[in-house]
Amino acid sequence: MKELTYVLIFLPFIASLTCFFKIPSQVRSFMILTTGCILIVSSLLLIPYVPFAFTPQILFGLGVHDLIRVPDFILMFAILYFGFKHRSLLVIVPAVLQIVLVVWFEIIISSGMIEGQQMFRSVTQAFYCDNLSLIMVLIISIIGSIICFQAIPYMKNHEEHLKLSTSKQPRFFFVMLFFLGVMNGLVLSNDMIVIHFFLAATTLCSFLLIGHDGNKEAIRNSVRALWMNNLGCLAFTVAMMMIYHNLGSTDVQQIIRTPPGTGLSFLALALLCFASFTKSAQFPMQSWLIGAMVAPTPVSALLHSSTMVKVGVYLVLRLAPAMHGSFLSQCIALFGAFTFLAAAGLAVGQSNGKKVLAYSTISNLGLIFACAGLNTPESITAAILLIIFHAITKALLFLCVGTIEQHIESRDIEDMRGLYSKMPLTALITVMGVVMMIMPPFGLLLGKWMAMEAAARNIFVIILAAIGSALTAMYWARWAGTLMSDPFAGKFKLEKQPVVTWAALLSLCAGAGILSIAVPWLYTGLFTPSMSLNYVPPYTLNDGVLENSYGIFAAFPLCLIAVMGFLQSILAVRGATKARICAPYLSGIQTAEHRVFMGPMNQLVKAEAGNYYLSNIFGEKKLTIWINLAAGVLLTLIVGGAL
Amino acid sequence: MTTSQGIIMILAGLASGPLLGGLIAGLDRILTARFQSRIGPPLLQPFYDVIKLFGKEKMVVNVWQAFCANAYMTAASISVVLFFLRSDLLLILFIQAVGAVFLVVGAFSSTSPYSQAGAHRELLQILCYEPLLIFVVVGIYLLTGSFKIESVYAWNQPVLLKLPFMFVVLSFVLTIKLRKSPFDLSTSHHAHQELVKGLLTDYSGSFLALTEIAHWYETVLVLGLCSLFWTTNPVGAILLVGLTYFLEIWIDNVSARLNWRWMLGYGWAMGVSLSLVNLVWLYAR
Amino acid sequence: MFNKILTRARTMSPWVLHFDCGSCNGCDIEVLACLTPVYDVERFGMINVGNPMHADVFLVTGTVNHRNKKVLRNLYDQIPDPKVVVAIGACGLTGGIFREAYNVVGGVDKIIPVDVYVPGCPAKPEAIIDGVVLGLEKLKK
Repeated sequence: MKELTYVLIFLPFIASLTCFFKIPSQVRSFMILTTGCILIVSSLLLIPYVPFAFTPQILFGLGVHDLIRVPDFILMFAILYFGFKHRSLLVIVPAVLQIVLVVWFEIIISSGMIEGQQMFRSVTQAFYCDNLSLIMVLIISIIGSIICFQAIPYMKNHEEHLKLSTSKQPRFFFVMLFFLGVMNGLVLSNDMIVIHFFLAATTLCSFLLIGHDGNKEAIRNSVRALWMNNLGCLAFTVAMMMIYHNLGSTDVQQIIRTPPGTGLSFLALALLCFASFTKSAQFPMQSWLIGAMVAPTPVSALLHSSTMVKVGVYLVLRLAPAMHGSFLSQCIALFGAFTFLAAAGLAVGQSNGKKVLAYSTISNLGLIFACAGLNTPESITAAILLIIFHAITKALLFLCVGTIEQHIESRDIEDMRGLYSKMPLTALITVMGVVMMIMPPFGLLLGKWMAMEAAARNIFVIILAAIGSALTAMYWARWAGTLMSDPFAGKFKLEKQPVVTWAALLSLCAGAGILSIAVPWLYTGLFTPSMSLNYVPPYTLNDGVLENSYGIFAAFPLCLIAVMGFLQSILAVRGATKARICAPYLSGIQTAEHRVFMGPMNQLVKAEAGNYYLSNIFGEKKLTIWINLAAGVLLTLIVGGAL
Repeated sequence: MTTSQGIIMILAGLASGPLLGGLIAGLDRILTARFQSRIGPPLLQPFYDVIKLFGKEKMVVNVWQAFCANAYMTAASISVVLFFLRSDLLLILFIQAVGAVFLVVGAFSSTSPYSQAGAHRELLQILCYEPLLIFVVVGIYLLTGSFKIESVYAWNQPVLLKLPFMFVVLSFVLTIKLRKSPFDLSTSHHAHQELVKGLLTDYSGSFLALTEIAHWYETVLVLGLCSLFWTTNPVGAILLVGLTYFLEIWIDNVSARLNWRWMLGYGWAMGVSLSLVNLVWLYAR
Repeated sequence: MFNKILTRARTMSPWVLHFDCGSCNGCDIEVLACLTPVYDVERFGMINVGNPMHADVFLVTGTVNHRNKKVLRNLYDQIPDPKVVVAIGACGLTGGIFREAYNVVGGVDKIIPVDVYVPGCPAKPEAIIDGVVLGLEKLKK
């Protein structure tokens, strides 16, 4: 398993370096495909070994901690360099502070001077992998690789469209693959200093990828992402130092096993939560994620929905045992539920497809934070379920939007009206993705059900979650309907897409469906063991029916019924193709062309329709200020309550 | 419950939609007619309507309407079956929502402006009633300690006594779900509304019949939720449900249709405040 | 056996689409009078639907002219089978008093096949109801 860990972390680094040099694009594509396949296989092979922990052998007399020191400084100076290059004080000041703090920290550690209790000596295990880490590794390796596969034809098309003379793909794939390794390293590490390094590395990767296209808008948004995420890293550094001051250790597993309040200050935990909120683009730090949508779509799919933003929720879930039953935990629950509602409301007022997906991501991450904050076995199970299914489904939807965007050259939902007639299979896959986001028996709804049942004791959280859930259904149903909004009276003609694109989309779609059916086995195999260290398994499983004292969800039977219902409905569609196709009702003045009617003076008029975006109520400009204010108040409550 | 009991309940649930729902719909039309000083159709009229519709020529605007009508019907029937099986209330809500969303998508799939506007209004209706239904279910949970329906039947008091405000919220939802004035924005049973038939404009023949039967299933479901508020005595349950339904039809006949802003604003304001009052009082006991 | 049930259902539930071609509204008022409590055609299961896709019986009043003949044809085509067409009033039968005007095509049967003719100017509500009931005989075949 040590070899597998090294492969998962270092193979992408090596592969990315090879991508950086000028090699023919077919060789590079082959390399990416091979790397991705090896990553997928390695992550699957890791499953039997979990849980495990180890510390690698000393290399040249240096431990992991020492090896990371130099790259950590290089990284922080790189961030400082970019701050100067783009003349952004917001980047420079925290970067300088961080460098100062890390230097101070290193001095403290190496001199062995610790004030207060000396409970622990050094990090006992450098790498630690339990089921939560395994789930994250699987998501990163499998979904991340599939996204990289789809990026190959996407970027080729993208650059043709932009008419670039020299290809920027080497740089692009260098950062993308490097990022996969960084993410694997982050979720497998047990040492806060190493996590800090990987955190800064993800910040830098995000900055480079958002600014990839190099135009003014991209650069502006990438700098914004840089300073916001860097602020989170700074909070992480301060918290790390406070924890070391109190406990004398940076070992995560040891930290969370100390009882809350004794030695482990709530302020440090609150700062770590702030860092997580920044990483996951919760309010009021959401503008970097919304702005990051200018990046090419594989970037949005990989970083800004499936993996990087999940780091925040991963960290909070790791820390959840340490916050059990505290006021901080309750505040996080309220904050998460508020984000869930607010982001859903903002998504209702959006017509830009990628921004809808971005707000939806923030919304779902808010729900996961709320689950982590509620801190009961049911809510933690819900959080894990939500992470898995949100990652797959959101990646699928982003890839679909990317494919659609390249075809119709717009990302506005209004331009996707009736897409079914132009791109039938892509439209159907997108609708399938939307269905998997909001409907039972799919895993995301199961997670939402668990979350709501767990939250029901907390009145404010459930009120926010209920309204948020209704808003969620509204913007998804609206999008799905818009895609299908063209009377289809012809033969189903499959549109042309590269094989890799079809493979990526269909595998993600099938994967989400199969995983939803397999939830009972996932529950016994993955969830219960990972939680038994800290929580009692919440649900009993009989014949695929999840049950506890106050709720029951017949997961597997409903899957069977859903499959049968789906097949029956598809047969009905086949029957309907033999039916008479008639025009939609247009008061009798329709013409042979079904959307066109005979208007005044015998002029032909096209029947137009538009969606309700309710921008008076849910408009981004109007609502964001109030939401940021409210979020600021809640954050102050969190940090203040921790003091 | 045992397997044989379960099978009987499943069959009863599946039959209740067409049979019980159809009879309730017939009663609805007779009562409406009597309120309007008319005689009204025979009790079995809805059955004649649906059978006639199944016998019509198959005609669609978009083949996916067939998928959506069937999916709506499947979801509605499953939610009623789960209700008869005394399953989890929140799960039943989410399954019912599947049908509602498919109905909307089916309406979107036609390009007629009436259909599209009706679909948007239906989305706003869903937006209005879904949180309120969740509040009602949470209220039952906070009282009985469980989301499962069997815990309501195990409760030795009528739930109405402790959750009176939640019943008011539920009747608000009932008005929307039954498509009664003042909240019959997206489509209604009366002829000729400002959007022709709104959501259902471009459905015809057997697909319209399926949406009608699915609507019957939803009627049975929501009236079933009302009956949960008085489970200790069957007479009490029938009286409660009957009185509520009678009031709904009466309100339908005396009020005019309102717009979605009014529905959403008043619904959420009243729903959230009444729920807060009732739930906080419950929680604080 | 199913056919018997289906036929009975069809005759017990005729949904009516009312279209005013070029009528003076006299016949239309009489048609709407049928829906009022005085005549109450809902007793026979008749509902006035506004949408041809839901209709079985097509009530047409007024003369057909060059402007609305396409509309008439469109609506007729959008009604799914089986359907019954009832032309009401003198104008609907032959063009009535407006027969010789320059824009008038004539009676309804110049554009769509008519099953029942209800004469009158305006036709009485009782006559209209009789006409629809007569038309339902066609559905029985």
